[in-house]
Amino acid sequence: MRIPAPIALALTAILSLSALALPPTAARAQEAAPASPDPRVKFKDGERYLRDLAESLEIPRKEICLELSRYDCADKAFRIVLGGVDPYEIRIMQPLDQASLASPIAFDRVALQVCSNRVARDKADPATAVLFKPAAGRPDAAWREALTDRLYDRILRRGADAAERQRMAGFLEGLEARTGRSPKGQADQTLLACFALASSAEAAFY
Amino acid sequence: MSSGGVRGRTGPVAWAGVAAALGLSVVAAGLAGPANRAVAKPPASMEFCKIYPTAHVCAASPVVNCTTCHTVPPARNLFGEQVSANLAPGAARPLSDADFVAALPAALKAVESLDADGDGIPNLAELIAGSQPELASSRPTSASCTPGQARSAAAGRWNTCGYDPAHAYRKVTLDVCGRSPTRAETEAFRQLLPSESAWRGALANRLDQCLRTPYWLGVNGVLWNLANAKINPVDSIKAGPRAGSIPLADYEWDYNLFAWLNTGDRDVRGLLTGQDFVKRTSDSPPTFEPVPEDGMRALRQAGQTVPRDKRAGMITTRWFTTVNTMFTPIPRTTAAAAYRQYLGLDLARMQGLHPAVSEPADYDAKGVAAPACAVCHSTLDPLTYPFTRYDGIIRNNYNPNRLKNFVRTDGPRVVEAPEAGEIFGQKVANLMEWSQVAANSDAFAQKVVWDYWKLMIGREPGPADQAEFTLMWKGLKAQDKFNYRTERMLHALVLTEAYGRP
Repeated sequence: MRIPAPIALALTAILSLSALALPPTAARAQEAAPASPDPRVKFKDGERYLRDLAESLEIPRKEICLELSRYDCADKAFRIVLGGVDPYEIRIMQPLDQASLASPIAFDRVALQVCSNRVARDKADPATAVLFKPAAGRPDAAWREALTDRLYDRILRRGADAAERQRMAGFLEGLEARTGRSPKGQADQTLLACFALASSAEAAFY
Repeated sequence: MSSGGVRGRTGPVAWAGVAAALGLSVVAAGLAGPANRAVAKPPASMEFCKIYPTAHVCAASPVVNCTTCHTVPPARNLFGEQVSANLAPGAARPLSDADFVAALPAALKAVESLDADGDGIPNLAELIAGSQPELASSRPTSASCTPGQARSAAAGRWNTCGYDPAHAYRKVTLDVCGRSPTRAETEAFRQLLPSESAWRGALANRLDQCLRTPYWLGVNGVLWNLANAKINPVDSIKAGPRAGSIPLADYEWDYNLFAWLNTGDRDVRGLLTGQDFVKRTSDSPPTFEPVPEDGMRALRQAGQTVPRDKRAGMITTRWFTTVNTMFTPIPRTTAAAAYRQYLGLDLARMQGLHPAVSEPADYDAKGVAAPACAVCHSTLDPLTYPFTRYDGIIRNNYNPNRLKNFVRTDGPRVVEAPEAGEIFGQKVANLMEWSQVAANSDAFAQKVVWDYWKLMIGREPGPADQAEFTLMWKGLKAQDKFNYRTERMLHALVLTEAYGRP
């Protein structure tokens, strides 16, 4: 049985993400602070999430995520499950207090679509590439390091610490074993590494 | 206890049947007559906060929920049982409201040191801290760090043990501007951290910039959505631009007024007392201006037809009276909506009950004087009378003789309904006085701050937030602090630990 390419890519992402699984404190950089005794993190919501990525990944907001190539992910397709409201038609006046069962699914779908969008644009116009820049020869540690810098800078708007660099390097090496070293394989690695950060708790909450 | 014998003879299944039958009998007895029945006392919700103003539940609202003493009223929870046992012992039941109110302080005092749920924490400590005295799994929580944790946190990227200015800066940018700060902005802000005045200035500047953005002030922006539950828009009856199939009124003007009164140097009490009618002149950047009175007629269904001296902010607009009053002579829904939306008191949850003497008079023959209805209608009906002179659908005007139109449908006594009413136990001559009492109440200030608190902090004020929440709403009222200016209050809110502690 032949698995369709997008599904294969998503499966690869799920398998590969396990390599990036972090202990609870590992996402914090520099020095570990104690866990907040009374954490007050908030969900960024679909609109703010896409605004941030549109700015960081240099994709016009109206083009960054369209379901069926027509429906804006935050404003139409996943409006309520991603924390929006619709007081006029379905009478939801305030964001849902609790995330719905579909929220994480929609969020992952949006993250994957945004990253796919950016990598596709990078492949189409390498001169203005933002994330995906193919290695001159074989992808090596320097290529992975540069990609890590771009991803953290663009998606989380900060530098990666040493532990994060190490984990990302291991993640990319693990991906390479599945995707190969070709430019297409490198693009897939870029896409999946982008997805890993764009779907992280740090990207979704504040 | 003899019931053990019953269980021993008949087995658990039969016992369950007996218990069910007994339960039904108790409920039936409660419905049938006063003898020995459990009775919920609406005044308790207000009296409790007079006795314990520092209790957590009283910080966000002047009333407590019925569940402080009851499971489902009139059934009591463990704490309610203790209070009941100490409430005027020996006195005949049911107690009158006056006797109940007189006996409540002593009854509560008597159970302060008891421990209803047996979790080792006295009732009073739980009430003050905000945990539930009737639930063993609910205990006061501490948000404090050890000195070692505090040192470690202060050196980390986020200070999880105290106010973290960089975290607050990121939150303000996201909450109010709708985007994350850029990496350069964050790094520039972090450079200011050694100087408290410098970072405070930068944080205040960022907030001021964001408060003027379309994301905050624009159509479908943050302030707009904050008003959704108050305005209750319905597209099918919308008039004006993008009119619905039955255009009756235009809610966009209500959103404009809400945004106008919540920005700049404007008094937010105008939500209940204001007389301006405000036009959105641009959405990028968002700008507003009051409509001159002589320009009102041209607005037709969208305009405001109530004379200026009879207007009470958001609660006399064409939209508000259209969707709430409709064709009702005594528009209880309108009063209840105003009470809930602007004072945070939901009569359906028995909040804010202040029974008036000789009420409900039931002028419109709706049967509200029946005992089961009178519990709430003795507050709701006098709360409603000041709204009776305001037309709903179609006319949307003030009409002192309005009730004459309803004699045929609602009976001859409907014209006897007075314009004077009562709010918070205070008599008022008309809606103008009603709105003044409401706008100057603690409940109004608490509701304004509560809405912003939920928006900015992401949850209702919790036990650890009590002191800061109280500072905010009292500050909103204080002339020398925020003086009813919500933007001033927001500047203080983003400096609270509740907001700035990760």
